[in-house]
Amino acid sequence: MNVLKVSRLTITLFVLPCLLIYSGMVFIPILVSLYSGLLDWNGIGESTFVGLENFKNLFFHDPVFWPSVRRTLMFAVFSMSEIPIALLVAILLRRFIKRPNFLVSSYFLPVILSVVIVGQLWKTIYNPASMGGMLNQVLIMAGLDSWARPWLTDPAVAMYALYFVALWQYLGYHTLIQFTGVSNIPNELYEAARIDGAEGFKADRHITFPLIVPIFKISIVLAFIGSLQAFDMVMVMTAGGPAHATDVISTHMYNMSFLSMKYGYGSSIAAFLVVVCLIATLIINLIFNSLEKRFS
Amino acid sequence: MVKKSKMLGLALSAALVFGLAACGGGAKETQGSSSNAGNSGTAAEVKAPDKKITITFQNIFPDPTDPKHQIMNKLVDKYESENPNIKIELDSLNTDQQKLKLKTQAASKEVPDITVVNPAAQMKPFVEANLFAPLNDMLDQNGLKDTFQEGLLDWYSFDGNIYALPDGNNIAVVYYNKELFEQGGVEVPTTFEEMLDVVKKLKEKGITPIAIGEKDSWTGSFLFMNMLLRTNGPGFLNDVLDNKKTFEDPAFLQAVDAFQSLVEAGAFQEGATSFDYNAGENLFKTGQSAMYFMGSWATGGIETSSVNGKVGVFKFPTIGGKGDPNEFMLAPGSAFAISADSKHLQETKDFLNYFMLNFPKEAFDAKGAVGIGQIVEGDFKAAGYSDMAMEVLDLFKEVKGGDLAFDNTMNPGTAQAHLSSIQNLFVQKKESSEVAKEHQTAYEANNK
Repeated sequence: MNVLKVSRLTITLFVLPCLLIYSGMVFIPILVSLYSGLLDWNGIGESTFVGLENFKNLFFHDPVFWPSVRRTLMFAVFSMSEIPIALLVAILLRRFIKRPNFLVSSYFLPVILSVVIVGQLWKTIYNPASMGGMLNQVLIMAGLDSWARPWLTDPAVAMYALYFVALWQYLGYHTLIQFTGVSNIPNELYEAARIDGAEGFKADRHITFPLIVPIFKISIVLAFIGSLQAFDMVMVMTAGGPAHATDVISTHMYNMSFLSMKYGYGSSIAAFLVVVCLIATLIINLIFNSLEKRFS
Repeated sequence: MVKKSKMLGLALSAALVFGLAACGGGAKETQGSSSNAGNSGTAAEVKAPDKKITITFQNIFPDPTDPKHQIMNKLVDKYESENPNIKIELDSLNTDQQKLKLKTQAASKEVPDITVVNPAAQMKPFVEANLFAPLNDMLDQNGLKDTFQEGLLDWYSFDGNIYALPDGNNIAVVYYNKELFEQGGVEVPTTFEEMLDVVKKLKEKGITPIAIGEKDSWTGSFLFMNMLLRTNGPGFLNDVLDNKKTFEDPAFLQAVDAFQSLVEAGAFQEGATSFDYNAGENLFKTGQSAMYFMGSWATGGIETSSVNGKVGVFKFPTIGGKGDPNEFMLAPGSAFAISADSKHLQETKDFLNYFMLNFPKEAFDAKGAVGIGQIVEGDFKAAGYSDMAMEVLDLFKEVKGGDLAFDNTMNPGTAQAHLSSIQNLFVQKKESSEVAKEHQTAYEANNK
């Protein structure tokens, strides 16, 4: 066992700081927040233990909760369905562009912009035409007056307007990841395939796809977890409004914990979010493990 | 085994060293007073400045162009130079950040020495958690209590104790742009029906009638509550709290209907629910809208904007002949409270006493005295206050009571439900009975 020829004490000593910090910053807060989820507590004063009351209200009596879960999951689905597009872009870049670095960097640009800036930018784009909104003005100029609408304040479309901004911002991010993955596939494989008569899509089907699976998985997990935790973009652009039409799980949690001062209730939403994240990660891992097995 | 004993030895010797050090410290102190008796005078002198006291002053004046920011810095500097052993550490945050930070600090019982809270229902949870020190004794010092407007401190009192001292006391008024009113060929409305007419005429001329920052949903609620004040008269929410009325009361329904008629007439700028408070106010301040409903605290900002000189104010009109225009939405301002666990309670109280005593005069000189909570001596006109400021000050003289904002009367849970229900009216037409029901359900769920 002791291949490193160092004493257990040394190992313990070296691992301990990290372990302490990690459990102090991650595990203990999660446990504390699970416990707070069982309290009726305004975050300041006395708290009373109410057992699963918060969860009962959350699941059965909260008119905002399930729609916000639905929006969050939709967000995740949209984000994940973006990744095949990112992969396609990456493959095209690799195949047809001689010096793709400039393009990849350009696609990546929105990612390094602060979410607040991106939010403000798109807010002005989405504004009604009378307020100088670019999108609506373009639509009106193109004769599509009936399509013009206040994108962020129409409850029917506001959420989709938000999804789109997130997809726009993160397309470059996933393209970069996929591009790195595609670039790491040795050229010899494609050359060998060409000799065997496999080119273009056929080569992708038999070489690129199987070899990109692990990288693809990283993107999927990142996209999924990222959209479950989506908060800042929604906060900047609509703050969950109008009237909860764009609330997602995390903004609902924020409203409950800090604005309605139901800290215990907010914690139960947080606990729900943690559990969903864990389960989802497990499922994604399972799916990809079987995929990897099939292709290798 | 050898290792273990080594560790033990190390631990023991460490304990020994610390023990010795502690003893040494103690010995030194006693020595200082006995053997150095001859020098004790100088020792004490050296000791006093060493014991510098730091008071943390959390505030909501981070903007250097805000007169209150300048007043605060001036008073703090002055106090520090007069009391060299005291250092005031400023923690300046904008309103939302401060609210959040204070809640986090309160959860871990680490409230700064001085902090800022909102009146009545909003500060109640903090008071109930015994986080604030009663300030009654401090208010009696130097006659500070008498500098406040009559009845104002009641909003900050619980069980006969005053827990916070407000820097403002405002009323809600309608600011209007005289130039745009002329362009639209309209006059200041005295009834709600006239107001709707004004809205329609302005709209025809392509002028946005009313600017509002409804992403911050309290702005719409503030306006709605003013309408409820007209249809019902003051005290509706208190009647609900006392179980004398419900939200399904006809006066409430009428207010909802009136509010919807305003929305339907196109009174507000397009996409109002995506404008935050500042963006909404900026529409008015840049002459892009004809009216702006807001607390009188907005006066200062409008004075320094491009529409200065073109702006007048009027009282919110009667609705269907109901209501008294001299009843206003009252906005007793954010207030300074002192942490009950402050390490330097007395020093903090002394400082806040000094600060509040000097606040009115400094505010007056900085032209920021419109809507402060204390009695101001001096001739505003002669001091160069603008015509609009004078108009606002005249309205103050006519105030015959009124109501507080929704979130100052109801608990936070009910208030949030109310805010989103009103925000919804901006984007969707709803039956007033349905709106009333939303309110009643939320009220019952949050007041079990």
